[in-house]
Amino acid sequence: MNRAAELRGAAAFVTPATLVTLTILAAPLLYILYTSFEGPAFSTRAYSELLGSALFRRTLSTTLIIAISASALSLLLGYIIALHLARQTPRRRSLYMVLVLLPFWTSVLVKCYAFTVILGRSGLVNEVLTWATGSQVELALILNRIGVLIGMTNYLTPFVVFPVLASLMAIDESVYRAAAVMGAKPSRIFRTVTLPLSLPGIIAGLSSVLVMALGFFIVPALLGGPRDAMLSNLVDFYTRETLDWSMAAAVGVLLLGMVVLAIAPLSVLRRRQS
Amino acid sequence: MSENFIRDPQSRHLQWMGSLLAFAVYVFLLAPIAVVVPMAFGSANELSFPPSNYSLELFRQFLSSSAWTGPLLQSAKVACISTVIVLLMGVPAAYGIARFQFPGRGLIMGAMLSPLIIPSVVTALGFYLYFSYLRINGTTLALVLGHVMHTLPYVLVMIVAGIQKLDRNLEFGAQLMGAGRFRMFRTVVLPQLVPSLIGAGLFAFLISFDEVVISWFLSGPTTATLPVKMYSAIRWEISPIIAAVSTLLTGISLVVCLIMVALKKTTPAQG
Repeated sequence: MNRAAELRGAAAFVTPATLVTLTILAAPLLYILYTSFEGPAFSTRAYSELLGSALFRRTLSTTLIIAISASALSLLLGYIIALHLARQTPRRRSLYMVLVLLPFWTSVLVKCYAFTVILGRSGLVNEVLTWATGSQVELALILNRIGVLIGMTNYLTPFVVFPVLASLMAIDESVYRAAAVMGAKPSRIFRTVTLPLSLPGIIAGLSSVLVMALGFFIVPALLGGPRDAMLSNLVDFYTRETLDWSMAAAVGVLLLGMVVLAIAPLSVLRRRQS
Repeated sequence: MSENFIRDPQSRHLQWMGSLLAFAVYVFLLAPIAVVVPMAFGSANELSFPPSNYSLELFRQFLSSSAWTGPLLQSAKVACISTVIVLLMGVPAAYGIARFQFPGRGLIMGAMLSPLIIPSVVTALGFYLYFSYLRINGTTLALVLGHVMHTLPYVLVMIVAGIQKLDRNLEFGAQLMGAGRFRMFRTVVLPQLVPSLIGAGLFAFLISFDEVVISWFLSGPTTATLPVKMYSAIRWEISPIIAAVSTLLTGISLVVCLIMVALKKTTPAQG
């Protein structure tokens, strides 16, 4: 095929979706930037007001703390599952895989509702503890930081399992055998073989989980208290409660900036790995 | 990591510990579903687990209240229309991206895939502001457009992966025999892509059906989808009907999950 025909072919297939993407996706995203600077007036009022507001600074640090801790927790839980899956025979692996896929496909609302029932003041966990200790237990497990972390970790863990499992399965088995033959103890094998060789999966999983965690909206709104609001909830607050669209847009721009900052080093690392 | 080279008792012990930990994590992951489904079959005036007596009362209440069936139908409508549009648009685009080299290819692909990275609250805000300017906020059209852009990256990724597994010589052959570009696409590419098309369609449908954040920003009082209704219901009153709705959503997820697993098995090339 010559070059002109190649271009014509590509244009015929790609043009409709490209036009829609430009008008329905790129335009709204640019419109956020435009709104954050108050339209044609071009003022940085929203940004300076945000940076000076205690609410914004508190929400920013809450977002970072929650996102980083939830990512770390899901990395830990996801790694445990991935190690377990990697050890199974292919048949049993696909069976256990369903136990990860089903939660992966479950709506975040279903999870939040279930956790209000499980973790509520007279919820399942407190009931069991009351029964076990023989005295009334009413631990506050939702509408606070614990609830948000439990909900987010539950949602994010499957996203770590898939990439980590892929890297674990790619490790040549003879490396393990060699390490064992040379007398390495299991903990040493894990430290010097498994962990470094699964690093690409860890990085891939961590970057996707971190990106999602920074933008979480539903879980902090339903399982968190007022002090656990994240930047996404602040966007909603400015859009619906105070109707200050420029502020909402400025928070959105800063949130997007944070996401880009968070994945940039990780994607550089990933490129270096490959 | 086969078992045969592990003889040392310490490593057996560690493996056993690892499996125990893994089972604890599986329990944690599945706990929400394990609690919600039995509750949905409980009675209407208790919110406890496990329910003391079982009935279909909550499902009856759910299906006989227009406050819930309206959003259910709205979700089904939005998800169906968005899925059709995103496939009509995304499948040819995926073919163009997978098979041709052209200037701006990376940029176009990046733009279409960007919703994977951009937090959905940011895209939702963009749609909200832009659609208010266009005066279509709160309409089904706004919801469909939002969902189409939100599901496009997933469709694109899945279809590109499907196309890359096809033998390109069949396409060259068809064109040498005189088939035009679109005829070749319709008669040679699409029939081979059927498993990917079903997979991508189901994925898009489920994502749209479950989507909350964008719908929360774009829907109006008469166009609320099921997740939007559920979100406000969980926020304001914890009604046991939500357990029935959750079970319905989980059932749909389970069906999609099983179909996807089955599709993966029937595809000869591993995917």
